[in-house]
Amino acid sequence: MSFPGFASLWAAWLFLIAAPLIVFYFLKLKRPRYEIPSLALWRAVINDQRVNSPFQRFKRNVLLLLQLLLLCLLVLAAMQPFIVGGPARGDYVPVLIDCSASMAATEKPGGPTRLDVAKERIGELIDALLPNQRMSLIAFSSTARRLTDFTDNKRILHDALDKIEVVDVPSRIEDALQMTEALVRTTTMGIDSVLMFTDGNLPEQVDFELSFQINYQQLPPAGKNIGITALNARRSSGGFWDIFVRVEASAAGQSAADVELVQNDTAAGTQHVVLDAKEAERLVFRVESEQEAQIELRLRPSDDDSLASDNVAFLTLPRVRLLTVFVPPDLASYRHALRAIPSVELLPQEGADAKPTLPTYDLLITDRKEDLEIEAAAALYVGIVPNDLTSLVKVNEGSADVVDWQRGSTLLQHVQLAEIQSTDEPHSTEGTADGDYEQLGYEILAFGRRGPLILSKRVGARVGFYLLFHSDRSTLPYRVAFPIMVSNLVEVALQQSSLSEVRGESTGVLPPLPLDRSRAYTVRGPEGFELGVASDENALVSGIPAERVGTYRFYDGGDVRKQVGVGLLDARESGLTATDEIRFPEDLAVSAAVEDVRTDKPLWPTFAILGFCVLLVEWWYFHRRPGGVPTQ
Amino acid sequence: MNEPSIKPQIASKAQLTSLLDNDVLARLERMRLKPRRRLTNRSQGEHLAGKGGSSIEFSDYRDYAPGDDMRYVDWNVFSRLHRPYVKQYQYEEEMHVTILIDASSSMQYEDKFLRAKQMAAAFGLMGLLNVERVSVYSCNHTGQRPVFLPPCTGRANMSRLFEFLERLEAGGDFPVEQAVEAVLARHRGRGIAVVLSDFLTFGDLTRPLNLLYSAGLEVCAVQILGPSEIDPELTGDLRFVDSETGHTLDVSSVGDLLGIYHQHRLSLEEELAQHCRSRSGRFLAISARDSLSWVLFDLLRRRGWVQ
Repeated sequence: MSFPGFASLWAAWLFLIAAPLIVFYFLKLKRPRYEIPSLALWRAVINDQRVNSPFQRFKRNVLLLLQLLLLCLLVLAAMQPFIVGGPARGDYVPVLIDCSASMAATEKPGGPTRLDVAKERIGELIDALLPNQRMSLIAFSSTARRLTDFTDNKRILHDALDKIEVVDVPSRIEDALQMTEALVRTTTMGIDSVLMFTDGNLPEQVDFELSFQINYQQLPPAGKNIGITALNARRSSGGFWDIFVRVEASAAGQSAADVELVQNDTAAGTQHVVLDAKEAERLVFRVESEQEAQIELRLRPSDDDSLASDNVAFLTLPRVRLLTVFVPPDLASYRHALRAIPSVELLPQEGADAKPTLPTYDLLITDRKEDLEIEAAAALYVGIVPNDLTSLVKVNEGSADVVDWQRGSTLLQHVQLAEIQSTDEPHSTEGTADGDYEQLGYEILAFGRRGPLILSKRVGARVGFYLLFHSDRSTLPYRVAFPIMVSNLVEVALQQSSLSEVRGESTGVLPPLPLDRSRAYTVRGPEGFELGVASDENALVSGIPAERVGTYRFYDGGDVRKQVGVGLLDARESGLTATDEIRFPEDLAVSAAVEDVRTDKPLWPTFAILGFCVLLVEWWYFHRRPGGVPTQ
Repeated sequence: MNEPSIKPQIASKAQLTSLLDNDVLARLERMRLKPRRRLTNRSQGEHLAGKGGSSIEFSDYRDYAPGDDMRYVDWNVFSRLHRPYVKQYQYEEEMHVTILIDASSSMQYEDKFLRAKQMAAAFGLMGLLNVERVSVYSCNHTGQRPVFLPPCTGRANMSRLFEFLERLEAGGDFPVEQAVEAVLARHRGRGIAVVLSDFLTFGDLTRPLNLLYSAGLEVCAVQILGPSEIDPELTGDLRFVDSETGHTLDVSSVGDLLGIYHQHRLSLEEELAQHCRSRSGRFLAISARDSLSWVLFDLLRRRGWVQ
């Protein structure tokens, strides 16, 4: 048993009050007057009773003893004693609280969520805060929010704690750690360790150089769960779409559910799935849709399901149409390659005017600088140096070949660029490094000997590829790689235009959405979410937080201009797997604590209550009628 | 031996006094004081004081001497022994019964003063009916002269005695030891002195007892205490106030001191008894709640105070 400590030891000086208390007690002791015939006998009694020991006097003064006891209890309460619960804690205690989607999981139906359990524990910590301790609450999910500064105001801490809610997004710990590190650096007083309350549904490997200790408090595991972890659709022939749904079960046990597909608020199919622990299954639905359609997948668990947010997912099927591709007639090689690809409408058509007729295209392939103004979801600029790169790269006549290229990029997948020769020789100007291109937003896809050969840049929702050499002055059109590259380009355009494959959007931030240019909209979402936004000059609305599973609608006045449904769609969150050890760079690892945080238990409320009880007893004793005194 | 109520009855035409019932008076008429010592006045009385008197109570024989009254020669003895013997009879002398009633404030409690007046009436009545000289003193306030009933004798003064006692009021701070001295300053004559008091005094009681003894008075001390003095039921912290002086005494945890209190009370009784015995006197401690009949006709008889 550890000896209790005192947070305000100076208050022990208050014990000196006992001296005047004793003095005043004997000076002002109120005794009931009782008249007797004569004091003769009692005086003899008192003379006989006054023995040498002065403590006899105290022994018979119950009221004084009660007052001294009350004083002792109050002084002890003022000294703020506490029972040391564990190793000494620092004066400043940052507390990280996971509020990601998995924290809404319950151990049993109707039971408390993981976040509720965490709140309860943190609430106890707040109540046990000693006067010299400050606490700061940081909630994290995919991002981190500092809820309070370092404070010892328990009301503020409790209020902030009560306001924490689960958001339907996966957890990322890096933001929280960076924020905590900033706190550690800015706080002058020492921070021994950082408390982190989470269900352990975190990445096992975190790319963060840890400079402080983490007390990893893992919450009890939740019950079994089954949820939708992936949703996408691929267009098939005949105006049909194949809907792919991935359903996964958590490690807690076997689960079963009915998965219902709803197309434009009409049930379009149901499948039953039974999964063992940690098992996943891919379900395929086929729906027919020529026009844009809203797809909603609803998962109805047959038995217990600890997490509800992953039981629904959304998908928007685009209208079925041909990919519009604009290629000037001069680029015969590209037009030739494109003619072999179905579902492509090649523009301008043979014999038509070479000028663009549509306001926007799905794909643009051009070698004319004036076509830079044409709007397209994807574009390939051949032999054109972007205006913002003219100071970095020059194209001379010579001989250029490809040294290396990014084989994983969407444009160059399965494309063999080795032994490609070009008479255009792009080269970086003197002093230009690869980082200079990246700073301007370009990604180098292919490297020549003296500089980049192929670049890509994403501007808003659009992606552009730049062949710094003209393909007609190279051996590229004569290689097998050429039609593959064109095919990849079409795939990119299809994806950009969402014509062949669409994915269910997940929570976090809504993707940039094309709307009218420079116009204000109101976004309304689940659980009363409402936000005013405005589209930019590119007619895009972006950066809209979507932390709740559901449908977000864009209102222009009273009309719904667009709607997007988002689901959790995260295998780790639905799996409810707990990471017992988080690894950091330099072989650092943080393991889940074996035992709960043992708090320093303050004793002053106990002493205060005891003091109050003694006060009541003393009050009763002071006012009671002395026994034996006649009622006359 | 408590009786339910000792409140004085209102004197009616049938009652001679409110202090004592008629039947008690009737029984008291047949009783007389029985002092231990021969403390009588030389004047003729009815108290048998010694041999050689002229009463009808035979005392002894002695040889005949010339000049003796021939009427006292026992001729029956002379006829058997052929020697003259003279019969001797006890003297019948007057005895002064002095009754001192402590009328200080301490006697006001719990009918102590009433009981003292009743006892005084009883002793006085026995004295009057036995043709003794009876005087009664009552002492209230220090410095004031005692209220007293001048010596009187005979049945004719019975109502006078009762009226005097009935008019007595308690209250004052006259300590009993000083009261005795004040009484002796006025008193004349030998006999017995009945002192009716609670004897709760800070003063020395040996001096007044010595003065009584040297004045030729046999001390008959009766200590009358109230029930709350004999067996107090007190607890807690109290401030006692003296009824006579107004002085206070703070006592804590009174309940814890009751044992010592009882020791001191019994010690006082024993001390008083010892003082009286050593001066050929007698001491009696009674409670104000004791039955008057029991005290007068049982306790006093058994203790040999009366016959």
